[in-house]
Amino acid sequence: MNEELLSVGIDMGTSTTQLVLSKLHIQNMASSFSVPRLVITDKEVVYRSDICFTPVLEDNRIDVGEIQTFVQEQYRKAGIRKEEIQTGAVIITGETARKDNANEVLLSLSGFAGDFVVATAGPDLESIIAAKGAGAHTYSKEHSTSIVNIDIGGGTSNLALFSSGELLDTGCLDIGGRLIRVDQVTREITYIAPKIKQLIARRDIPLTLGQKVTPTDLEPILQEMVALLEESVGLRPPGDFYDIIVTNKGLKLDRAIPCISFSGGVADYIYQDSVDDVFQFGDIGILLGRAIASSSMTQLMTVATAVETIRATVVGAGSHTTEISGSTITYTEKSFPIKNIPILKLSMADESGSAEVLASAISDKLNWFKLNNDLQKVAIALEGKKNPSFQEVQKYANGLHKGMAELLEKEYPLIVIVRHDMAKVLGQTLYARLDYKKDVVCIDSVHVDNGDYIDIGKPIAGGKVLPVVIKTLVFN
Amino acid sequence: MEEKDLKSMIESILMEMVGNKSEEATESVLTEPAQTNRPTEPEVVEDSGECLDDITEVDLRKLLLVPDPEDREGYLKMKEKTPARLGVWRAGPRYKTFTSLRFRADHAAAQDAVFSYVSEDFVKEMNLVAVETMCRDKDEYITRPDLGRQFSSDTIEYMKKHTTNKAKVQIMVGDGLSSAAIEANLRDIVPAIAQGLKMYGIEVGNILFVKHCRVPSMDMVGEATEADVVCLLVGERPGLVTAESMSAYIAYKPTVGMPEARRTVISNIHSGGTPAVEAGAHIAELIKTMIDRKASGIDLKL
Repeated sequence: MNEELLSVGIDMGTSTTQLVLSKLHIQNMASSFSVPRLVITDKEVVYRSDICFTPVLEDNRIDVGEIQTFVQEQYRKAGIRKEEIQTGAVIITGETARKDNANEVLLSLSGFAGDFVVATAGPDLESIIAAKGAGAHTYSKEHSTSIVNIDIGGGTSNLALFSSGELLDTGCLDIGGRLIRVDQVTREITYIAPKIKQLIARRDIPLTLGQKVTPTDLEPILQEMVALLEESVGLRPPGDFYDIIVTNKGLKLDRAIPCISFSGGVADYIYQDSVDDVFQFGDIGILLGRAIASSSMTQLMTVATAVETIRATVVGAGSHTTEISGSTITYTEKSFPIKNIPILKLSMADESGSAEVLASAISDKLNWFKLNNDLQKVAIALEGKKNPSFQEVQKYANGLHKGMAELLEKEYPLIVIVRHDMAKVLGQTLYARLDYKKDVVCIDSVHVDNGDYIDIGKPIAGGKVLPVVIKTLVFN
Repeated sequence: MEEKDLKSMIESILMEMVGNKSEEATESVLTEPAQTNRPTEPEVVEDSGECLDDITEVDLRKLLLVPDPEDREGYLKMKEKTPARLGVWRAGPRYKTFTSLRFRADHAAAQDAVFSYVSEDFVKEMNLVAVETMCRDKDEYITRPDLGRQFSSDTIEYMKKHTTNKAKVQIMVGDGLSSAAIEANLRDIVPAIAQGLKMYGIEVGNILFVKHCRVPSMDMVGEATEADVVCLLVGERPGLVTAESMSAYIAYKPTVGMPEARRTVISNIHSGGTPAVEAGAHIAELIKTMIDRKASGIDLKL
């Protein structure tokens, strides 16, 4: 059996908006003599859109109408209908995520792009998606090494650290190619971002708005920016400006990182340099790329070639956001997709006690999800056990049933996500507890954490598995 | 071959394998505990609480005996993916003592699983209806597969009396080649199957336990009970990875002499493979699908 899923990725970044279409291939990898095990075996990008500037209205809001036209236009060019899109993600990144109407645009666009196209946002997720799109996680797995990918866009540099295919850490810095803009014709500085202004002042660099500049004039500030990037990957001890330039957090840096890769618009000018006019985009992107290319990052670390540069984030959104659940699961709910469900992940202490402990932990923690005293839909996540006994499954089911009482009153479906392979029996047990009257969705083999959201799509592969997207929804 | 002969043959092979030195060692090991049992030496009766570590408790996938590997992490990663005994190192041209002992311990567990019986207490505890095939003992069971798939007419009558005729499903348990697999998994898989079937409104009646059971014995059970689906939970031939692996053979209206291709099998049910409870939930759904589609084996397109 071989099944294909058509997936769309849309990236609305600080400076550009793009779209890709990918095909995800799904196969049953188990022999015919055991329980099925469906996995995504291949991901291929089948269409890459034009790259357009992210349309912003005069009042600094995102022009959603224009983006919808862009999406429609690209679907037409690719020769597909919206109904054919089975999964995918829209990600809103960089400064665009900080616009007033970011949330609203994101949600309306995800619905517009397809039935199960999910909305995502957040600096950590952005780093992960870009690194996956750049192929950093595959590189670390194939070479059995650690690698940091820096996705350098217009407004931010997103870092993600992978070791042997596993994500270790993420970070984000306010360093980008469009933080200083230079008029292409007059060579006058037209914009300096606030944090960069602060850096210029602290270092006494002679640069002001309206000043006519040459690449040599910009050299000192570019060196400062490169130094901060070197600090961010542990090549230098953090200086006095490091904490200021960090967006939300940096990497933990408790171990040396041997390899590095670059993605984002600036990356093209790190990997190659063949331009006549360094100000052709009206910003310092090309110069920043050059400065990084001759820095210690390329000299002291092994540079891996990114499989995608400027399209890394959009390819990541299209090809690397959808996962599939374990293949032995329970769902009685019929109205998929279920979108934007926050996760409540229980602690090991909650799980290791009796059913009563589990129940009271759940009902306590459900209070975190009350908005004006109104409980939202919540998915409960737990570790489970590797090889549980039937008694232990009963314990889990009793605890969940009791603890989720408040969700049941609201007529919400019971959504349970367990890490170990036990979802089918746990789901059936819960369903029995509910007298087969309320709906249950119980899936396994998916990693989630507090702060994550989950989207669950329509069953695929003859109903055996559910496509899921684990994501964050953070607007700065 | 008599069990005794077999035992002495294996013993002599092992002696040759490990050489004379350990013959002495084995002897001293054998004689020491005999001494400790003598009541005339009261100081040894005092239990110091000390005992040898159980070498079968060691997780082989995490044990790398290569003393100075070039890439320890990479080696262990490789070992994570296979139960094969990689990186066992050597003493001269031979296995190290641990490897050799562990091999023999695992082999012994496999043999025990084949030659031991599911305890009667266990059969009682699980409320199973006990029957046996035409085999009189383990030797006949091993050497006469044809008898392991037949029942006497008395047994068939007994079976008919203690099961529901024309039930939707008849579940049966067989010792097969591993009694250890049955004792390890049955407590968890049976309630999971029953609970899953209940969800579809299907009742599990009395469950049969078949001693000296070969897989095709389910065909005779099928004919005797006239159940729509027969599901046999049977101990798999044990290997050196686990002696506790169980399979479920499931067929829609099985008949004696039907092609093997009409059986659906779910194998590798053990703590390191598919968990028993999860397999039970899956089997319940599979049985329901078979009843709905009136087919099993390769006739059933899943």
